[in-house]
Amino acid sequence: MLRQSLLALTVASALTACATTPSNLSSVEENSLESKQESRAFDSTYTIPDAPRYFLEGATILTGTGEQIDNGNLLLSEGKIEALGTDIRAPEDAIKIDASGKWITPGIIDVHSHMGVYPNPSIRSLADGNEIVGPVTADVWAEHSVWPQDPNFEKAIAGGVTTVQILPGSANLFGGRGVTLKNVPSVTMMGMKFPDAPHALKIACGENPKRVYGQKGGPYTRMGNMAGYRAAWIDAKAYDKKWTDYEKKVADGDAKAEAPKRDLELETLRGVLKGEIKIHNHCYRADEMANMIELSKEFDYEIAAFHHAVEAYKVAPLLAENNICGVVWADWWGFKQEAFDIVRENAALLELAGACAIIHSDDEIQIQRLNQEVAKVMSAANDMGMELSRAQSIRWITYNSAKSIGLEDRIGSLEAGKNADVVLWSSDPFSVYAKAEKVWIDGAVRYDRGDKTVTPTSDFNLGIIDPEEDRP
Amino acid sequence: MRLLAMRTTKLLGAVFTMLFVGVAHGNSAADLFLIKNAKIVSDQGISSELTDIAIRDGKISSIGKDLELSQDYQVIDAKGMPVSSGLFNANSQIGVREVSAVAATVDAATKNEHFTASLRIVDAFNPSSVVIPYNRVQGISHVLIQPSPGSGLFSGIASVVNLSGGDSVEVRQAAMVVRLGNTGSEVAGGSRAAALAMLREAIEDARDYAKNKSSFNAGNRREYSLSRHDLQALIPVTQRRLPLLVYVDRAADIERVLEFGREYRVSLILGGVSEGWRVADKIASAKVPVLFDPIYNLPSSYETLGTRLDNAKLLHDAGVTIMFTGMGWQSTHNAYLVRQSAGNAVSNGMPYGAAIAAITTNPAKIFGLPSYGEIKKGKEANLVVWSGDPLEVMSTPRYVFIKGKSIPLVSRASRLRDRYYSRIIESNKK
Repeated sequence: MLRQSLLALTVASALTACATTPSNLSSVEENSLESKQESRAFDSTYTIPDAPRYFLEGATILTGTGEQIDNGNLLLSEGKIEALGTDIRAPEDAIKIDASGKWITPGIIDVHSHMGVYPNPSIRSLADGNEIVGPVTADVWAEHSVWPQDPNFEKAIAGGVTTVQILPGSANLFGGRGVTLKNVPSVTMMGMKFPDAPHALKIACGENPKRVYGQKGGPYTRMGNMAGYRAAWIDAKAYDKKWTDYEKKVADGDAKAEAPKRDLELETLRGVLKGEIKIHNHCYRADEMANMIELSKEFDYEIAAFHHAVEAYKVAPLLAENNICGVVWADWWGFKQEAFDIVRENAALLELAGACAIIHSDDEIQIQRLNQEVAKVMSAANDMGMELSRAQSIRWITYNSAKSIGLEDRIGSLEAGKNADVVLWSSDPFSVYAKAEKVWIDGAVRYDRGDKTVTPTSDFNLGIIDPEEDRP
Repeated sequence: MRLLAMRTTKLLGAVFTMLFVGVAHGNSAADLFLIKNAKIVSDQGISSELTDIAIRDGKISSIGKDLELSQDYQVIDAKGMPVSSGLFNANSQIGVREVSAVAATVDAATKNEHFTASLRIVDAFNPSSVVIPYNRVQGISHVLIQPSPGSGLFSGIASVVNLSGGDSVEVRQAAMVVRLGNTGSEVAGGSRAAALAMLREAIEDARDYAKNKSSFNAGNRREYSLSRHDLQALIPVTQRRLPLLVYVDRAADIERVLEFGREYRVSLILGGVSEGWRVADKIASAKVPVLFDPIYNLPSSYETLGTRLDNAKLLHDAGVTIMFTGMGWQSTHNAYLVRQSAGNAVSNGMPYGAAIAAITTNPAKIFGLPSYGEIKKGKEANLVVWSGDPLEVMSTPRYVFIKGKSIPLVSRASRLRDRYYSRIIESNKK
């Protein structure tokens, strides 16, 4: 018995563990044991550092819920937002920060980043972002490729980015699991991992799979892509049934029930079917998004978001109806045929249709100024007569982003009780001249433009040009 | 009825004016403009006083306070909005790259080893590219189109084109593009030292060829490292009539190129210059201008370890003349975003006027375009009226003039936008 339990812990599989669970535990206890053990391998080791209370005074606050508070105050305490508004007062023990003339937003969330998996320097030795060997690699986890010393992370926090979803690359139909990280320095990936955040499953539509696998056994066409997804979901359904049957036997007290063999690929797809893993689907063209929605209905799962959705504006009402976020760039286009039908107002048109609009970077440079990306779209939309406010538009990189990765109860807006992920901007963040001055993650200052010692620079940067200095 | 009558009268009036002006001045009324109450954007910054600018015969015909002109001029009241020159992106492939992943639409480089220095990228320029209207309505009027690396050390000849969509070529031979550093090293067999050796050999061969053409053609000359056309294309470089635009990033590599320029008596422009700030004084004293995108700050390779956001500020402080491209890898389809790159350079310490010069007057001077880049009487009317500071991401063009013609603010993108905007409005009503 003991040996079996240890084994179960070692393989860290709740489902295997079920076989050794004493039958006198109630099913509730069993479930909690199950979830605990399942999450043991690669679980987050992130801890919130001790921090004083902070009272930010007299700022223009964009809350991320669609509100703007002028001359507002914000109190951060024990990792959380304690209060905000115009009439709250500074507690005596709080560090007061004069924020008059400055702006405050929630920490920025980038739901499409390859930091750590395609790090700098961009050399083959460090390029671990895409297991390109076959069209279905749902078994790989991006977190196992994350190099925490990527010097990109600290540049991103200088642009106010507090949370990132790291996705694997997009050659495959199923590219693997994505992971959500807090943008904090750590020697290990687990030290950055957002506790209890759902995994993502990266799916890619269109040109990439057919280009990469067309001469390597397929898919060669878009219909081949669709056949590939469907075949995988059929397998996933069968796998799901096997495990569900087994779990039922265990729940019914069958001590002799034998656990099916785990299959990492199908385990990921089963996670989607169970609603535990969120689909983040790289999909440019409107007609393909519609097909992918049909597919999700055929196999009964949900799609969280379409990424790189250059043509999202063409199916904006459909995305709204199906509660799917359109994740877009402000203005990238023309690099391939499926990225030809650019409109600069894409995110704004999604908003107009009542859909969830998100701006992502997918880029080491753009992640450093997502605020400017939002500003460009808002200004283009207002030029054509829409009346978007900063308070509305900032949600494209805060609240809506949090929603798509299943963390809107914890981050993405400034509301009492939520995690204190906060950016203090030198001026209006919709200006090219604005800079993030201070950034808090869980109430601790993790970036300070005036104090480089707050966060240690990446190991990579130490003495690499001049032995006594850090890389700029 | 009254409205219709009025319209007819107006239309007739316009037709008469057009006929009259057309006969008298070779101009149509549509090409006479008076921009009133504008703030001039120049290398001195944004002026605080209001100025009027008249456009006629494709040029700025007069400029000053409270200009009084005939009724033939269409009046645009800028109401204090800034007016800049049409912006210039100094490294783009507009017109030679339509859809990057569709090879047949990309003419930016060749694998053909026979044509390297002699590749005239402008021969492939397509003035009907959809990329042109998209960018000019965002305020770009000119770009330097540059070839990508091909199979040789020399990528080919860069040219200046305007984005009028018509007669576009402004400067056919603006610079000879060569890539050293990592790219050159690869071409040369694995060492940046070999790349520099190849460059020296090419210049020596071009000089020798220039002096001995007839004996070469008679078959009485040693073999050269490049084809006859490539050598011919390099002759203007050896005579300092065509600048050599050398892409190089590492500080030490920059120094080697400066030494090469002195020794081989060629006029240089440096591209890339990620670590330019480390040797800024040397670049300045060699009087070599630089061309780069100031948005980069990550060590994408071991030769760009020193990349930093205040590279532009540090180079400017040292007295180096700067030209910008950008933003990021989107400098073709979104060539207009060079102003966002420039804005970020200002945000990181570069003086505002210097950033404006880097996307207007500097490339004009360096690439031989004397009529473009300044808002002065007699200069070509390449002008943009902006809703605000042209380096601000929130600003957009209200009027764009290229060579005195008013550009309709329409592109394929705006057509798509309008189509689906109305569909969403319809759908919302349901």
